[in-house]
Amino acid sequence: MIVVVALLGIPIGQAVYYSMTNWNGLTAQWIGPSTYSTALSDPVFWRVLENNGLLLLAIPFAIGIPLAIAALLNEHVRGWRFFRSVYFLPTAVSWVVIGMVAVQFFALNGLLNKMLAAVGLGSVQTNLLAGQRTALFALAITFIWSMLGTNTIIFLTGMATLDPTLLEAARVDGLHRRQIFFRVTLPLLKRFVQFSFVITVISAFSALFSLIFVMTNGGPGFGTTTLEFFVYQSAFSLGQFGTGALYGIILFVIMIVVGLVQLRLIRSEDGEGW
Amino acid sequence: MAAADSLPAPGRAPHAPASGRPPGSGQRPAAGQPPAKRALRARRRSRVGMIFLIMTGIAVVMLYPFWYILNNAFRTESQFERQGGHSAVSWSQLFSELPVGRELLNSTLICLASILLILAVSTTAGFAFAKLRYRASGIVFLAVVAALMVPLQSIIIPEYVNLGKLGLINTYLGAILVYVALGTPFATFLMATYYRGISDDLIEAAVMDGLGYERTFLRIALPLSWPAIATVTVLQFIQIWDDLLVGLLFLQNPQQRTITVGLAALSAGRTTSIPVLMAGSFISAVPAIVVYLIFQRYLVRGLTLGMGK
Repeated sequence: MIVVVALLGIPIGQAVYYSMTNWNGLTAQWIGPSTYSTALSDPVFWRVLENNGLLLLAIPFAIGIPLAIAALLNEHVRGWRFFRSVYFLPTAVSWVVIGMVAVQFFALNGLLNKMLAAVGLGSVQTNLLAGQRTALFALAITFIWSMLGTNTIIFLTGMATLDPTLLEAARVDGLHRRQIFFRVTLPLLKRFVQFSFVITVISAFSALFSLIFVMTNGGPGFGTTTLEFFVYQSAFSLGQFGTGALYGIILFVIMIVVGLVQLRLIRSEDGEGW
Repeated sequence: MAAADSLPAPGRAPHAPASGRPPGSGQRPAAGQPPAKRALRARRRSRVGMIFLIMTGIAVVMLYPFWYILNNAFRTESQFERQGGHSAVSWSQLFSELPVGRELLNSTLICLASILLILAVSTTAGFAFAKLRYRASGIVFLAVVAALMVPLQSIIIPEYVNLGKLGLINTYLGAILVYVALGTPFATFLMATYYRGISDDLIEAAVMDGLGYERTFLRIALPLSWPAIATVTVLQFIQIWDDLLVGLLFLQNPQQRTITVGLAALSAGRTTSIPVLMAGSFISAVPAIVVYLIFQRYLVRGLTLGMGK
């Protein structure tokens, strides 16, 4: 049995070791903690962090829209299984491919501007990807689109776990559909909403690299450079490995904080730990 | 219609004034219904119609990119400019600009090798976490869960430096190791969750019968856990197939790149025409989509199993 444990423990140890090597990377180029104050006083860093913050604004949409879609799917109208598969499809597709189509969609002669022209808004035609703020907006829209399927499935699974007699009771009590959704369904789905919140935040902060790489390469300027992309840019475009690693650690700390806040939320609501 | 009627409100139709009616006419809308009931039915039907319409609209939004890819992959650059006509020229151009076959093979090899390694580690480790009690197992498991929270970008630089020292940059092995390190924590977590669901008595009984832990694992636990194995396989396949960052850094030689990385590099060059990129997108997306369509339910299960309890 000890042999088994040893055989199992070592690969895990390795996996853990890999995850921890970020500290080695930092000390390998030891300058001292002053690197942090240098980095923190860099205006570009704050600009990048601001981008991350702005991306957070997309999260209510990335959760709210799927919630509505899941509610529709949960009516089990004919063909809902087909729709479910279709909505989930982007999950299988690489951010690289999604990003390339998105570039075409937002381009000056792309579908978005054609649609705007078609509804008489031809005057507001722009290439969203050309402006710093608008490019981030375009990125956020693409992000929301990509997350639709995943979050919809999470909520749909959650709704399937609900007790139908409870909903029926609410109906008998004379609650409208909307009331039932907000007063009965939604509170019961809290755990699922939290889960999708965490997944969405993690994706927004650490899964958009490919999308940014393909859509904007961080530009224009630093308009769409988020922290994760900044890590890559510092290290592999500018050759500042130490700085890159440092930003990586800041990102790590942010993720830990998100995780802890989440854990605290779960605990305070359940009244007990896991 | 029948499904729409019975599912959202189970038991409603039978509870209605069915008592006075002859058996058989049960849930059908009969001509002799009171007008109020008919109005209700009509309203529900229009509601269902609305939902169907909205869902179709969303489906169009979700499917549009795929149509766009297919439509424009079969165009030359000038046909793309004026959005008319079709041709297959871009496909041959794609094959000359990108070693498509080679990169598809690379993707497949790297995916397979990584998944096999991930499975080897995660099934054994998951079993150990779920069924064996040993010193500090709780802490080690906590470490695995903590590893789930580590973003790739935080470790990518030290990883790059370390593998560089080992001479593993631009080798399959280097990329595979990184994928395995990234995929193992979640896979282990998932397997452990699954093995916890298998009865302790069963394992105990097998061990008592003299199978020993190794053979109990191989002959009993492993065959029982194939749904979880399928989930891990599908999740990791899609993840690795679609990944860009790791491949971009650790496989810089076009001959070794995966198809996704090759495509992104092509697109970053900004010299390749859009139809060619769309053809490439199509080729790179198809395998992942096929896997998704076949193993959809395992993917869904993995997503929700990730919630733990």
